[in-house]
Amino acid sequence: MNETNRFEPRIIAYVCNWCTYLGADLAGTNRLEYPANVRIIRFPCTGRIDFNLIVKAFEAGADAVLVSGCHPGDCHYTAGNYHARRRWMLFRQLLDTLGIDLNRIHFTWISAAEGRKWAQVVTGITEQTRQMGPYTAYREIARASA
Amino acid sequence: MIVDQLRELCARLLSEGTAQVVIGYGQAAPGKPAYPVFIRRAEDADQLVWNDQCMTNLAATLKRREVKALGKPAVIVKGCDERALIMLAKESQIVRANIYVIGVECNGAGRPAMAKCASCDVHVPRWTDTVIRETESQAAAVRTTPSSARYADLEAFMRKTPEARLAFWRAEFGRCVKCYACRQVCPLCYCERCIADKNRPCVIDTSATPKGNFAWHITRAFHLAARCAGCDECARACPAHIDLRLLNLALAAAAEDHFGWRAGMDPEAEPPAGAYSLKDKEDFIG
Amino acid sequence: MARIGVFTCWCGENVARHVDIEKVTETVAQMPGVRCSINYKYMCSDPGQAQIRDKIQSERLTGLVVASCSPHMHLKTFRKAAQTAGLNPYLVEMANIREHCSWVHHNREEATAKALDLIRMSVEKVKRDHELVPIRVPLTRRALVIGGGVAGIQAALDIADAGHEVALVEREPSIGGKMAGLSETFPTLDCSQCILTPRMVEVGQHPNIKLYTYSEVESVEGYVGNFKITIRQKARYVDMVKCTGCGDCWNSCPIKKNLSEFDCGMGFRKAIYIPFPQAVPARPVIDRLACTRLKRGTGCGLCEKKCQAKAINFADEDKLVVEQAGAVIVATGYKLYNIAKEQDNAQLSGYGEYGYGKYKDVIDALQFERLVSASGPTGGEIKRPSDGKIPQSVVFIKCVGSRDNAKGLAYCSKICCMYTAKHTMLYKHKTPGGEAHVFYMDIRAGGKAYDEFVRRAIEQDGAKYYRGRVSKITEENGKLIVRGADTLAGAPVTIEADMVVLAVAMRPADGVHALAQKLNVGYDEFGFLSESHPKLRPVETNAAGVFICGACHAPKDIPEAVAQASAAAGKTLVMFGREELTREPEIARINEQTCAACYTCVRGCPYTAIERAETLTPKGVHVKYTARVNEGLCMGCGTCVALCPSKSAELEGFTEQQIYSMVESLMT
Repeated sequence: MNETNRFEPRIIAYVCNWCTYLGADLAGTNRLEYPANVRIIRFPCTGRIDFNLIVKAFEAGADAVLVSGCHPGDCHYTAGNYHARRRWMLFRQLLDTLGIDLNRIHFTWISAAEGRKWAQVVTGITEQTRQMGPYTAYREIARASA
Repeated sequence: MIVDQLRELCARLLSEGTAQVVIGYGQAAPGKPAYPVFIRRAEDADQLVWNDQCMTNLAATLKRREVKALGKPAVIVKGCDERALIMLAKESQIVRANIYVIGVECNGAGRPAMAKCASCDVHVPRWTDTVIRETESQAAAVRTTPSSARYADLEAFMRKTPEARLAFWRAEFGRCVKCYACRQVCPLCYCERCIADKNRPCVIDTSATPKGNFAWHITRAFHLAARCAGCDECARACPAHIDLRLLNLALAAAAEDHFGWRAGMDPEAEPPAGAYSLKDKEDFIG
Repeated sequence: MARIGVFTCWCGENVARHVDIEKVTETVAQMPGVRCSINYKYMCSDPGQAQIRDKIQSERLTGLVVASCSPHMHLKTFRKAAQTAGLNPYLVEMANIREHCSWVHHNREEATAKALDLIRMSVEKVKRDHELVPIRVPLTRRALVIGGGVAGIQAALDIADAGHEVALVEREPSIGGKMAGLSETFPTLDCSQCILTPRMVEVGQHPNIKLYTYSEVESVEGYVGNFKITIRQKARYVDMVKCTGCGDCWNSCPIKKNLSEFDCGMGFRKAIYIPFPQAVPARPVIDRLACTRLKRGTGCGLCEKKCQAKAINFADEDKLVVEQAGAVIVATGYKLYNIAKEQDNAQLSGYGEYGYGKYKDVIDALQFERLVSASGPTGGEIKRPSDGKIPQSVVFIKCVGSRDNAKGLAYCSKICCMYTAKHTMLYKHKTPGGEAHVFYMDIRAGGKAYDEFVRRAIEQDGAKYYRGRVSKITEENGKLIVRGADTLAGAPVTIEADMVVLAVAMRPADGVHALAQKLNVGYDEFGFLSESHPKLRPVETNAAGVFICGACHAPKDIPEAVAQASAAAGKTLVMFGREELTREPEIARINEQTCAACYTCVRGCPYTAIERAETLTPKGVHVKYTARVNEGLCMGCGTCVALCPSKSAELEGFTEQQIYSMVESLMT
């Protein structure tokens, strides 16, 4: 495929306000270029990010979802990220059982100082998703009528 | 005979006023599943039955307003039902002291026995006010079954490719008509307004389409993560025979694997839901 | 109907270089609910803000989206602009098309498409914002200070001198803390007690300070501005009001051989005692475990007989007192690392090879302080514990426990370099001809007149410094054989010493974790309390209204602890200076109608801000149980929302409706 026709994955990123959002800000301040495929939705804390939102992202046609927050011990609210971590430990198992592609769901800790990591993570996910192609399986589920 | 003891106990509890209602099993026709009966007068105690058709988890009745209105209940539980009862207490839905719990030894319910019975390790309830055992029973109250036996079906299923698994669920959920029987019979689905009925915003597409059905079944299963007591009533109630047990097993296995937790096995243990540990695994987080 | 104004900023060339501003403005104007879409070179400038204010009024806008930089940069600016124009400031959203877009995506087409998506999401979000008003919280202008060492004393006096009441809680029978037991202080060698005890007396006499000694914090309820603290006053068996502190009781007490805590076990005290002569309050306490009468319930009672004030009360019991406070300052200080084998923490392993606890003449630094102190058990004469002889050769070992990953404490205890230099000087001054040997890893003497002080110890007083560790200490013929290395000389060193002083690591005081949990303050892997921001909020904690100072935060010396204490007092006074407290209204709420009272949120809330509550009819009849958010405590993380299966919990500013509409706006 040539440059203009290549598949551009849609990636939704749910991030916390105090670490990853600021990390993405820092990537900007440092002018670290990365693919424009990601759409950030800002939350106060990863503790707020419910599993339904991951389902919702796929229903909305996302090809990959990224959830990112503060490293353990750094949570602005002391423990929201620990709650999030435990939630994803279990949720991944459910999705795996359902046969939902875990390669399309990414979790990272990115601090306010890790602008470079943000750029790398987004680049990596975009490349990987581009290789995998659109998430047609879930798009079909989301679009099919009864 | 267990049934005689049950009837006698029921009559006594009601006449002495220990309970205002005894929740037990009644029988429509021989060989048919027993259904819940709510006995409020001692003279009706002989409506109670006890046989291998007593599959219903009566703990689920406790959440209902109309049952709460009947006064202090005495409830008959099998070992597996009792796990749900423990979870209800953990989640502040019941006060143990306000319920009289009648435990009955069970060595398998259903004809043939339900899938869960093969790896059952709670044949005799332990968190009860009274336990009625089969007189000739020599079986140990607690038998340990290896977790491999509990999760054998899951493990077999997980040997399929992810694509095959997704195809399987698309077929399973394709039969779902959103009757919500799975929710209604679940002892731990006690929300006053289920999220599936919330429409501002609509979290789960209400239509019985693949989209709405995936959203619902993901939500149902995950809301029971580390909570589901494994009674399998949802699977039994499903008119479309969707293999809901498999999803419950997946989360039960995850909870046991990660936290050493089995819901409702220990009234003293702190549930992992709503909690966290600094040592929680994060090998999946980049 | 929503009437949203979207204001797209060029940020000079910063946005405009990679985002097609004109296209964005035109496309945005077509989005549902958008009333006006304009762009400007610098939205944050005065003319930019003026345009926003004008449009809010002329177009009667119901919401505002500013597409420009990060909300961390200018959300406050634009909220203020909205408020000035009469629009509720919480009806403002930003679309970050600079940091998250133009600065990182240089393909104009892609960047423009993404900017449009970001704005579209913000428009959907702002349509569903609610008008919010900051939450007013009543403010009790009283402070509670926990810990009566030098930091706690300083903080209490500063606040009390500013005219506010302070309750000071100290666990020991007297205030004064570790500093009261020190001999002389570096780098000036002024006598510790001479500078501290007047401050202690000030505390004892201050009309604004209520002193609770021999007391501990039992429980804490409430939140910033409104703490309710229950204090346990331990049974003292002496009536503090009747007692005159004359000393007849302790002079008559026959139980003499109790190791003195104040003298770090180097001296003895009676069963009824004051810890040291200058104690504040100068009132004794009976050691329940040592007193014959209290142990047996009968007999002795000599103190009672001698006491003319009739102040002895063997029937005394612990009392619980409740104090109200608007702010809490934690100044619980430190303890020393225990170098003996037994440790309270599996990661620590002790220094068995140094023989502490086995050889009487191996002591720690605080014990040495008591040996040198004029008020100490030897009256200030340096006599070694085993036989009372004056040691002719003393070895000082630094970094015992500190900077030692293998023993579990990776940090530098910071003060040891200085006090060891001081110890060598004090020893040399008192023992003409005595030899002071110091084993060190590095000399860290950053501080005013600090390095000069260490040089003085070495150059003027002749302390011998060896850069290296000591591997083993053994005892032979009354001498301690210290085997170490001098890495600068590249040779092993063996010294026959009469006494060894270990500069052991500082650790947070016992019980601080339980206290931190009561106050919802975080702590690090070593147990030191965590500040809110290491640079910009060094005395604040993540629990609003709780401040920290002194060595409970990290190892620090007296001037630093005092400075931090004054800072904590200053922060408290800033709070007390306000008319009223307001808190951000973007917090969680529970829909009590749909809440099933499973209380998962109560267990999960990091701030214990959700309570079990009951819904009642106006006449007080029980309707149902429910969870309820305490507005004073909620910090707005939203953990409860994700934990709530029925979504009865909602977080203002990040509601389910808002997030879903944002996600759905990306659907094409």
